[in-house]
Amino acid sequence: MGGATIAEKIVSRAVGRKAKAGEVIEAVPVDKLYFNEVIGPPAVLNFQKDFEDVYTASGKKLQVFNPSRIAFMPDHTVPSCSIKVSQGISLIRDFANDQGIAMYKEGDGIEHTIASEEAFVLPGEIAVATDSHTCTQGALGALAFGIGTTEGENLLATGELYSFTVPETISFRVKGRFQRGVYAKDLVLHVLGTMGEGGASKKVAEYSGPTIDSLDMDGRFTICNLSVEMSARTAIVNPDKTTLSYVEAALARRGMAMTDDLRGMVARSDPDATYSKTVDVDAATIEPTVSLPHSPANAKPVSQVSDPISTVFIGSCANAREADLTIAAKILKGRKVSPSTNLIVIPASRRVYNWAMDQGLLKVFADAGANIESSNCGPCFGKHMGILGPGDRCLSTSNRNYKGRMGSPDAFIYLGSPAVAAATAIEGRVADPRKYLPAGEA
Amino acid sequence: MQVRGKVAKRFDDDINTDYIIPAYLLQESWDKQFFADHAFEAYDPAFAPTCRANKESIVVARNNFGCGSSREQAVYAIKYNNVVAVVAQSFPDIFFRNCLNNGLLPIQVADTSTIGLGDELVIDLDTRKLKDLTTGQEHDIVATDASIETMKRGGFLGYVKERLRQRLNAQPPRAP
Ligand code: SF4
Repeated sequence: MGGATIAEKIVSRAVGRKAKAGEVIEAVPVDKLYFNEVIGPPAVLNFQKDFEDVYTASGKKLQVFNPSRIAFMPDHTVPSCSIKVSQGISLIRDFANDQGIAMYKEGDGIEHTIASEEAFVLPGEIAVATDSHTCTQGALGALAFGIGTTEGENLLATGELYSFTVPETISFRVKGRFQRGVYAKDLVLHVLGTMGEGGASKKVAEYSGPTIDSLDMDGRFTICNLSVEMSARTAIVNPDKTTLSYVEAALARRGMAMTDDLRGMVARSDPDATYSKTVDVDAATIEPTVSLPHSPANAKPVSQVSDPISTVFIGSCANAREADLTIAAKILKGRKVSPSTNLIVIPASRRVYNWAMDQGLLKVFADAGANIESSNCGPCFGKHMGILGPGDRCLSTSNRNYKGRMGSPDAFIYLGSPAVAAATAIEGRVADPRKYLPAGEA
Repeated sequence: MQVRGKVAKRFDDDINTDYIIPAYLLQESWDKQFFADHAFEAYDPAFAPTCRANKESIVVARNNFGCGSSREQAVYAIKYNNVVAVVAQSFPDIFFRNCLNNGLLPIQVADTSTIGLGDELVIDLDTRKLKDLTTGQEHDIVATDASIETMKRGGFLGYVKERLRQRLNAQPPRAP
């Protein structure tokens, strides 16, 4: 009998019996559920419309399954970019207040960043949200994935996922030291390039090995975030000391501590767990990498690309945490953004924003000539704060470069690390960051 | 249970939900029909009129149809243009579940390359066969028992309401 993967263990804990990959489970209770302001409003409206009669017939008030396990995080187009968006935010705020659910404010941050920074999602939990990049929480050792509006409304009522297939897992074993100028983003773009957009369909992408062990949490978040671009059900990293000290710090900021109960939730894959496939990656061979239009899997070494770029976006749930802004600022310090390029910097949360201000990073960006915006998804969502026009070429630290993703379908989007983005902003064309890094600098 | 329709559109691999319904529209309405009016607006503007030309249309694709964003509006955009089913070689999970939840049939078969535009298809959920009446070819439908059940029920809603009802009735009534 082989051992269990972390994904199997988390589902087993949730349902109270041993669950195996491939089996369909009738009902799986989730630990955490969060909504943005895009899907939150219709999910709430549908919940009220579809379930009202059941509550009335039972003589009960409309009440979500457990308010303390739910949160609303308006982040995509905030501060509000349209009247309808404002109406949606008011709707979820009223609902959250009525039900006793946590309601974050515009500018508090991108949902997937807040969910981890606020210790809302914890290791070993099952977390779902109405957004495909919920997989970001896998960096915490949580089993986290996106759901649609209807699933969101059902979860508000019962807190359960129905007809859930326990996913199989692909093991990505990563060894080797990054070359200078290579970061987690380059690694994951390289992986997408080898796997293709459908390469991990329905599977959990589990990352392990010495390279992952030595990565900070910000790098792990980036890798898990982008794994959905190969259609993975989700991504996950086995929790270790790095994970636990991150979680302890996040809890401490909220005046809480790690308890034995929380520690007891932490799961790790057994050494003899069964994987559907194992992929070995040698990180030492990876160069700084960009994904060319119009697919995240269209990865090329940056040394082979020098296309002109009119907009650089450093932001999104993929790459706008402390480590990301630190790298970008190191490269931009004392330099100017190219006259032909517009640089937009959006820290992933209010906490990161304020930290970057205290550290002087925002001044570095401002001096270089960047537009710095309060925390939100910004141009990644293609709705406000830097919409691309026909013929525009953008280098973005986000995760999707689909045709039309950031505005006009006749624009071109390239994906890269914060280092590549900073170097590109300086040169006004896709640029190799290595020449801007001080010698001996990682 | 049988569903019939005519192939109105064919797509290649990796059609993402951003192509199906662009992000800038998602927050602008809570009405499902709105998204149908804007289906594939930037990617294939002929989609809506072409599918609406039939009473029952079917969309055929290759691998990984509906990848990317979790937006369920992508399903409304397809379904409310008279589309009864999407036939593809694979679907990512979120899109697949969104289809189930909205009664748009996500039909997986091994090879869609021989299914042509304009072909008349019959989907039989009981025998799990897809019959192409135009070519006479028959395809096996790949699906779990659970998803076939959900397709026949038209989604999870009735089931979820029943679960909620049982749970509420097990609790003492809330004090006024
Ligand atoms: S930053 Fe982009 S990818 Fe992340 S949640 Fe926002 S819109 Fe989605």
